[in-house]
Amino acid sequence: MKAIGFKLNTTASLFIFLACLIVLFSFTSEHFLSYYNITSLLTNISYSGIAAIVLTLIIISRGLDISIGGVIGLTTVVIATLYSQNDPLPTWLILLIGLGVGAIVGMINGWCITALDMDPIITTLGAMAITRGLAYVISDSQSILMFEDTTDYISNGAIFFIPIPIIIFLITALVFSILLHKSKFGRAVYAIGANEISAEFSGISIKSKKMILYILSGIAASLSGIILIGQTSVGMPQHGLGTELEVITAVLLGGTALSGGKGTIYGTVAGVLILGVLFNGLTISGVRYVHLQIFQGILLLVAVATYEIKTRNEVAR
Amino acid sequence: MKSTLLKMSKVCKSYPGVKAVDDVSIDLFSGEVLGLMGENGAGKSTLIKMLSGAEVMDSGEIFINDLKVDVNSPKSAQKNGVSVIYQELITMDTLSVAENIFVGQLPLNKTTKLVDWKAAEKKSSDVLSLLNSDINPKSIVGTLSIYEKQIVEVAKAIHKNAKVLIMDEPTAALSEKDSKSLFEVIDRLKNQGVGIIYISHRLEEVFNITDRVSVMRDGKLIGTKTTKDADKKEIISMMIGRELSQFFPEINLEKKGVAFKVLDLNINGIIENINFEVHRGEIVGLFGLVGSGCLNIARSIIGIDKIDNGEIHINGKKVSINGPKDSMKNKIGFIPIDRKHEGLTLDFSVKKNLSLQSLDGLGASFIINNSIEDSIAEKWIKKLEIKTPSVDVQVKNLSGGNQQKIVLGKTLETNPEILVVVEPTRGVDVGAKMDIYKMLEDLCQQGVAIILVSTDIPEILSISHRVLVVSTGKIRKEFKKGEANQQDLLYEASLN
Repeated sequence: MKAIGFKLNTTASLFIFLACLIVLFSFTSEHFLSYYNITSLLTNISYSGIAAIVLTLIIISRGLDISIGGVIGLTTVVIATLYSQNDPLPTWLILLIGLGVGAIVGMINGWCITALDMDPIITTLGAMAITRGLAYVISDSQSILMFEDTTDYISNGAIFFIPIPIIIFLITALVFSILLHKSKFGRAVYAIGANEISAEFSGISIKSKKMILYILSGIAASLSGIILIGQTSVGMPQHGLGTELEVITAVLLGGTALSGGKGTIYGTVAGVLILGVLFNGLTISGVRYVHLQIFQGILLLVAVATYEIKTRNEVAR
Repeated sequence: MKSTLLKMSKVCKSYPGVKAVDDVSIDLFSGEVLGLMGENGAGKSTLIKMLSGAEVMDSGEIFINDLKVDVNSPKSAQKNGVSVIYQELITMDTLSVAENIFVGQLPLNKTTKLVDWKAAEKKSSDVLSLLNSDINPKSIVGTLSIYEKQIVEVAKAIHKNAKVLIMDEPTAALSEKDSKSLFEVIDRLKNQGVGIIYISHRLEEVFNITDRVSVMRDGKLIGTKTTKDADKKEIISMMIGRELSQFFPEINLEKKGVAFKVLDLNINGIIENINFEVHRGEIVGLFGLVGSGCLNIARSIIGIDKIDNGEIHINGKKVSINGPKDSMKNKIGFIPIDRKHEGLTLDFSVKKNLSLQSLDGLGASFIINNSIEDSIAEKWIKKLEIKTPSVDVQVKNLSGGNQQKIVLGKTLETNPEILVVVEPTRGVDVGAKMDIYKMLEDLCQQGVAIILVSTDIPEILSISHRVLVVSTGKIRKEFKKGEANQQDLLYEASLN
């Protein structure tokens, strides 16, 4: 295992690990490789995958956003509440407002982190509590039903047999891999994470870059919320509970370093897929949800530990 | 008759490629202040580190009260009564004065076995009053002034029964008044029989408070003089010794008008009424000792240090600069003092470092144009003769000289008309130094105005057209090229 990890680069070894999991589960369950299971697996990971893609950039810049789950919940509640009014606004406007919820939370996060120089973990932890609380207040702790064609199509429709959430996830991954790996903005993000002081001396406007990242992260979370509302036909304050943990685990599993400056979109895609396959495979093999949670926690710790051990070896050499 | 408190005999210490301390022997009597002087890199710090247990010597012996001792850790140094007060104070700022003084040995109540705060505070007050200080033992150290923090450190040392006290540039960050108070404390300690090794660049104070002066240069002890028989110029020539190296290029000055001017720059308590101008094609040197404010002047030009008042003019027009981005817009380039933390992104490749300051120029769209980026990297690798296996090697794997060239290259890629360079050749080998000087010479000929901040005296004297000497935040003296020698420069800089 160790030898493989050192010879191959991180992303390649992740995809090999993914392949092993798929082979393993195809033996443990005959349903695993069915069209229905594969599409439902991919659809399920799409919604957290979108948030994970954007979070990758934040972690590379040496930040963190744990308000994702709260924003998802608040978005679903806001959208469902607006839709359940007697004379609702047009759906496109409601969805836009939904995305605006994430943008505003992201803007506030970004402002605290850049203008007030607050710690990203604490800032977004506060935002998580506030957004979740607001969701409960607005919905009066009730689930709000929402049967609506557009959201239903976004979450359950398909183009050429490919479910739309998967298409949204793939497009997000593609757009952000170009942004991160090919663009000037992406280079600045890496530079900020690798050494903020030298980035500042190099004339990079750090604050505006960070602001953009947190706004994008908020919007991505709201987009996840929109997909979730279509999948469940309900807006409720509990939506997205624990999603931040899932998303952070996927990003770190994909080789992005909490210490900043390192990470790729391909790695995160691999991380999201591994997490999705593992959960799906274990579930259909009969493992209970409560046990899966323990698995997820262990996986997060293993991902971080692997990174720490690798860094220590690099330093020792 | 004073007894010998400390004796270091034939001490040696080598690092890869350099003999930091070479066969040095010094002694210290009780109740004596021994000044230790030398240029940057002379070996003073290494010598002190071996005495304090921070470094282990390769060979040599240390005697305390004529008994040979092994000093191989800070703890063993403390046990032998040696304490150091470093220039960067290492107080625990969130704790109280008493906790700092008694760190690790707070007195316990006999019955409850809990900390006896009353006793700790009482004893702290006693130690502090020995030092003529009325700092409240309950105060949080972080709220104290630098001078008070120093006193806390001294009190801590006294409490640990320090017989040998080493002070590294203690007045570097102190006002004149606080310095005087510190000298009184030093006097008291002397009378109590403590031996003090006093490291300072400031000639005046070394002559005022020391009994003898030892001078180091290039890792060797050059000599020890009794202070009252010594002459300042003599000490300075002992420190410098070497003649100006021959490899400095002769840079002719053709004045082509004023490119850059600062008017009454002030940072409260740090720099005061700084005025100077730089012509196109001119190199103006700023020389000052540690803590003189030179670095702050340089940093305030690019808006990293915020000025309280003052103006910056470029080509006759007033500009406002709030940070490196603004300074780049105004065609000011900056080579920072610390290439590893401020100048470079060590995990980035050579190519990505060289293009980082010119990201906007890498193609018209938001996508990086790889061929433009490659050509930038290749241009500077060739121009500055950067030795690297490829453009994709991480810069952390390169030598100091090549790293410094990359810092220079990434800044020059922005085509600055004014260049502020801070210690451009610190920790750089001779070959790379020559390449860097050659580059500065070329820039002058192209009409770039250069502000050089350097503590390397031969360097600043040789390549500057004018040198401004800065001390305690003010410009004290201006020398035109050839007007000053090394002694003059050091002499002016050590006045306050």
